[in-house]
Amino acid sequence: MEEKKTNGKAEYIIELKDLTKIYDGKTVVDHINLKIKRGEFVTLLGPSGCGKTTTLRMIAGFERPEEGTITLEGKDIAELPPYKRPVNTVFQKYALFPHLNVYKNIAFGLKLKKVEVTKKNIFGKEITRLVNMAYMPVEQKVTKKDGSEVVKTVPFCRSYQMMTVTTKKGIKKLKKVNMYKKFIDDKVKHALKIVGLSGYEDRDVNSLSGGQQQRVAIARAIVNEPQILLLDEPLGALDLKMRQEMQLELKDMHKKLGITFIYVTHDQEEALTMSDTVVVMKDGVICQEGTPIEIYNEPTSAYVADFIGESNILDGVMPEDKKVLFAGAEFECVDTGFAPNEEVDVVIRPEDWVIKREGNGILNGEITGCMFRGVHYEMTCMAGGYELILHNTVEYKPGRKIGLYVDPENIQIMHKEHVNNTLPVRFTSNTTFDLCGGTYEFSPAACFDNCEYDEENDVLKINGEEIALKGKEAKVSFEFDSIDMNDDEYASPLAGNVESMIYKGKNYLVDIKTDDNRHIYADTEYLWDKGDRVGITIEKDKFTFSDCDFIAKEGFTYTGEEKNA
Amino acid sequence: MRNTFRKMLATPYALFMALFVILPIILIAVYAFVDSEGAFTLLGNFKELTKEKSLVNVIKNSVIAGLSTSLICLLIGYPIAYYLTKKEFNRTGVIIGLFLVPMWVNFLLRMMSTKAVFNVLGIPLGMGTVIYGLCYEFLPFMIMPIYTTLLKIDKMYLEGAEDLGATPVKAFWKVTVPLSLPGVLSGLTMVIIPSITTFAVSEILSDNKIKLLGDFIYNLKAYNLNMASAISLVLMVLLAVSMLITNKFSDGEQGGGIW
Repeated sequence: MEEKKTNGKAEYIIELKDLTKIYDGKTVVDHINLKIKRGEFVTLLGPSGCGKTTTLRMIAGFERPEEGTITLEGKDIAELPPYKRPVNTVFQKYALFPHLNVYKNIAFGLKLKKVEVTKKNIFGKEITRLVNMAYMPVEQKVTKKDGSEVVKTVPFCRSYQMMTVTTKKGIKKLKKVNMYKKFIDDKVKHALKIVGLSGYEDRDVNSLSGGQQQRVAIARAIVNEPQILLLDEPLGALDLKMRQEMQLELKDMHKKLGITFIYVTHDQEEALTMSDTVVVMKDGVICQEGTPIEIYNEPTSAYVADFIGESNILDGVMPEDKKVLFAGAEFECVDTGFAPNEEVDVVIRPEDWVIKREGNGILNGEITGCMFRGVHYEMTCMAGGYELILHNTVEYKPGRKIGLYVDPENIQIMHKEHVNNTLPVRFTSNTTFDLCGGTYEFSPAACFDNCEYDEENDVLKINGEEIALKGKEAKVSFEFDSIDMNDDEYASPLAGNVESMIYKGKNYLVDIKTDDNRHIYADTEYLWDKGDRVGITIEKDKFTFSDCDFIAKEGFTYTGEEKNA
Repeated sequence: MRNTFRKMLATPYALFMALFVILPIILIAVYAFVDSEGAFTLLGNFKELTKEKSLVNVIKNSVIAGLSTSLICLLIGYPIAYYLTKKEFNRTGVIIGLFLVPMWVNFLLRMMSTKAVFNVLGIPLGMGTVIYGLCYEFLPFMIMPIYTTLLKIDKMYLEGAEDLGATPVKAFWKVTVPLSLPGVLSGLTMVIIPSITTFAVSEILSDNKIKLLGDFIYNLKAYNLNMASAISLVLMVLLAVSMLITNKFSDGEQGGGIW
């Protein structure tokens, strides 16, 4: 994107630094850092509960952050009340005042507008004060009775000019026009023109359709010429056709007005269509930030790839640079900089698969399902034990054997966010430990290196030294596939709620949130629903322990990984 | 078959309405246009009313008492209702309960004890004490409708106002107050009508010195049912007119009062 610099002003209009919001002990927005360029159209995108609306409300001033700063034009506004901020909001439910008509709704902000006025006080000292624009002193020519003209200073709301106006009957007349009223009138009419509602001034807001109300809400915000316009899922309540039309119009308005837009939505298509920059959020943190094309083509995590559009997300291994193994075949790719044999997530968009004759591709597969989706056919294909989704304009019937090829540039490779589960534990005996409030059994001989365990006498020896584990603390690691999920939470030591799940072609990777807000990831063949309560059972010899300060370092070799904080 | 059965279920209510609502109104209307001998007279009873010298005074007292009571109730009741809607003041609903509990005490008892208090304090009974008693009696009727309308106002309107540059005080006057007007209007009607037609309060708290419309009807009843009906009819018409005006005001507004 081209770098804009206007009149020597800073490139970034607003900067969020370490912004944090906590509700009832729950961190909703977690140390967010974001810089927004002047005149940009930025979209905060994420599922409900990801903290996007809270972030917007902190910028608007309705929520006070627990931590962090919001710097607007070099000034920290985090503690300012909403009415002192040069930003305006378009609310999801419009929030038009039901007791005022369209005109008065739009003029509401204008009539409250304050301007700086420098005045001499009684001691002759100049003071600058904020006064309502209606009382701003202006010069007024007054014709006296004898015909001579004098210039007087009057409040703006009482200044007037002689003007030719056309009456309702079409007669031109010279009339005294109140300049303040005319000023507001012109602004309101201009705003209504921008949103395409000229002539609606006297309408009752309750008599308008959803789309029209939305337009009035936009007019009411932009009429104040805010430095930033905040839009909180403004199209959420509209039907599809209307929404698509408004998307284009909003984009157009953004171009015309040149105001910075910060837009919140959960609709990925909306975000991709309208924005200059998309910020994908999850659990109060920013996952990825970039242009719509970057976000779509180069997602940096499986989560983003899954959230934005359809995709095949598969487990892979990179044996060396520019080579990746997945679905039982070796593909060429363009990515470098991964550790040898690093486990990675591979993302391939359904439309990027090139379907060839069997044997001519890199991977062979069999079509298992085919659905007509308008522009293309959506097909499922079993290849190398994985279920893949393909989009193609040519129909391939189920049962057809095909070869699959992907252009190296279309393979997106990402570091895995989590390779295994690593969590802190406290031992409660030589064979049990407490994990997130659940008591798990483990077999010491299988889980510790150089370990002997005498079951009858409950004697544990590690590296030849006798140790009583009770009360000791350490970290435990276990693989995703060592977990057994079941729907009887009382039959398992620990239970949690399913937060999200990603289909990996063979199985689902499920993110389970325990009651003490820790995440446990599990592989499962079964489809669970978001919010499902599940029990977590783990086989007793699948644990590895690390950070065991109580074990003499000598000879202790640790095999687990410590990526998951 | 099922339909007829369902309609049958409404019979007791229809009977009740006919007997206790419609019939009395018809009777009042009939009595108002009939003289004591039972002969029809269009304006006879109303003419009789104008002959009553005390009536002018009664109406004057009623207007003063009714208006000042409703005004005082509004001035006291609105802030109370406003603060009751704030969670931090009314977390358990105990405070709103405290404002309603006096309604459970028999009101004659309350008025007589109020009178006793005035006597002890040496405050002379008169219009002031009557208005005090009326406010005491009818304040909850002002608080409740205002409270319910305020409760229904969506917080987003206030956020919208603040977003557009209104300070919390401005937002209150420009958004909260106009949006709570339906509640205020129904509160006013709920206070003003009963306060001018009640009779015991003024009788007890002014030692029978100040007579309101209620006392007037009460005293008439003993010897002229027709005149009492006539004045009741006038009151009913006034009530209907004031309701119409109220509804006009609150038309198209969100929320709405208790009515």
